[in-house]
Amino acid sequence: MSYTLTTLWHDRQRYLPGILAVAFSALLIALQCGLLFGLLSISTIPIDRSEADVWIGPQKVLSVDTGQPISESKLVSRVAGIPGVTHVEPYIQRFSFWEKPGGGTDLCIIVGCRLTDDSIGPSKVLPQELRDRLTEEGSVVVDESELERLDIQHAPALLAQGRFASAKINGRPVRVVGLVKGMRSIAGPYIFCSLFTARSIMKLGPDQTVYVLAKCEDPAMAPRVVEQLKSSPLQQEEPDMSVFTKDEFSHKSRMHWLLKTKGGLALGYAAALGLLVGLVVTSQTLYAATMASMREYAILLALGIPRWRLRWTVVTQAFWIGVFGVLLSIPATYLLGELATHLGVKPLLSAELMAAAALITLGMAMFSGVIALRSLKQIEPVNLLR
Amino acid sequence: MRDEPVLQGFHLTRSFGDGETRTYALRDVSLGLKKGELALLMGPSGSGKSTLLAVLSGLLEPDSGQVLARVDGDAVDLWKLTPRQREHFRLKHCGFIFQGYNLFPALTAEQQLEIVLRWGEGISGREARERSREMLSLLGLSKKCHLLPAQLSGGEKQRVAIGRALIKNPQFVFADEPTSALDWTHGEQVIELLRIAAHERGATILVVSHDHRIVPFVDTVFHLEDGRLQEAETPVDVPPPGVRFRLEMPP
Repeated sequence: MSYTLTTLWHDRQRYLPGILAVAFSALLIALQCGLLFGLLSISTIPIDRSEADVWIGPQKVLSVDTGQPISESKLVSRVAGIPGVTHVEPYIQRFSFWEKPGGGTDLCIIVGCRLTDDSIGPSKVLPQELRDRLTEEGSVVVDESELERLDIQHAPALLAQGRFASAKINGRPVRVVGLVKGMRSIAGPYIFCSLFTARSIMKLGPDQTVYVLAKCEDPAMAPRVVEQLKSSPLQQEEPDMSVFTKDEFSHKSRMHWLLKTKGGLALGYAAALGLLVGLVVTSQTLYAATMASMREYAILLALGIPRWRLRWTVVTQAFWIGVFGVLLSIPATYLLGELATHLGVKPLLSAELMAAAALITLGMAMFSGVIALRSLKQIEPVNLLR
Repeated sequence: MRDEPVLQGFHLTRSFGDGETRTYALRDVSLGLKKGELALLMGPSGSGKSTLLAVLSGLLEPDSGQVLARVDGDAVDLWKLTPRQREHFRLKHCGFIFQGYNLFPALTAEQQLEIVLRWGEGISGREARERSREMLSLLGLSKKCHLLPAQLSGGEKQRVAIGRALIKNPQFVFADEPTSALDWTHGEQVIELLRIAAHERGATILVVSHDHRIVPFVDTVFHLEDGRLQEAETPVDVPPPGVRFRLEMPP
């Protein structure tokens, strides 16, 4: 074992605050980002739950729920002609206004898609029975957690009696024919319905859609299909068209929400605070530890051991404090993540996020070692003689 | 063995403070130490003993004067070297034993010695370990190699500190009050080890101490008072045969 690790183990009580501070920073960054990403992922449920590999939408579309109507027939037939594309269908998703039975309105998101078994839209989140019910015009399905917001708390009781709660969207009457679980949204409740109902609510023509979805023979072909569409004559004919792979569109939509809601700023601020706490505690721990070994370091300097060797030792200590802190933070993050999930907020703790949090915190620990180097400046071997 | 001085100080002066608060720790001190010589520097508190040791060992720059060290046939003017060259000089040629043991609490006895070889000279772990064990064995600590400082007695700790000073086989060893924290049984062992290092390994050793019991063991005694070298007083102890006293006068 190296002298650094031997020292860390021997004086573990001295170094523990530093290790805990690093762990705290890593946990804070990972969990906060995970919670935010988890929240943002809700905004792209329709994309992520769809089986479409390519999304074709209006020009300069910012996120999945802000699209404008585009022409369906021309796009569908042309996209279907691209080699590798096996299935094409229209899909409607837009903001609208839910008129509450008791008065007042609230924002909602209309999700209109094909209801057939071979649909590649997000309708698969609904059981067959609900999809069948949605084929009737004016029928909608909502998430059971949104009932209060939509002012239809009585919907379950009515459903149990075989009746439906009524409301209006955009002035059109709708009936809540079923409830679904786990489809909460950030901006407004998702309102699942057929394409026909969606067009009726949004007052769109029969040839209008908001997106055209395409499925490829192999999802890995999606980037090539996107490139082909972008360079095809179709793009010149339809300059208002944007084309994305499923992952690109999901990422673009999440980033839009991240920036629009200033969530990124809040996240950055909180994470910076966590890092600052870690930095101060770790550098002070290392400073105090180095000062405690001042006389031993001084004698090494007297013996001609170069000062850089001692600096390297302090930075190495910082590195190992970082490593132990990060290792400690990993199970703690997952444990608290589970707890948050139980409380109804699921953090998205991807391997990339955990790696990024570990690297940032490790960098912070090393930097705290560099800050603690000021302690070595105070060490002069001649002081041992006074 | 000891003809020409290998470490010489010429007209060394060192003061601290400025203006009216300036005090002189050394006033025009000159002395010479020969190869294989164990010298003792004595004097009351504040007489400048430690300052002289620091100046001669390249740790504290004098206001004026010169320190010449003869190594490998060359005369090196210590205070004309750059700080980095002086650091390298200490690395190659100097060993130090300070008051207190100053051992890393987390490291075993052999690691305290290894660290000097590995960090100072870049020697491999295996060779450093072998040399450290050999040195500790010479110091009678072969069975204590794996013990931490907290598991060693005061005398054993000081022997480890001596081992750390001698592990590089230095030409010069500077010891500041090496027996002050020990009872006389252990103190005697320590000074005997330093005597062997000087006489058998050929190291030039300067010991700063106010402990008169050391006097019979050393080759030379210097007395310092108010920053000036004084003529030696007749020691209370009767020196053993072969021990002599000498007063170095400035050239």
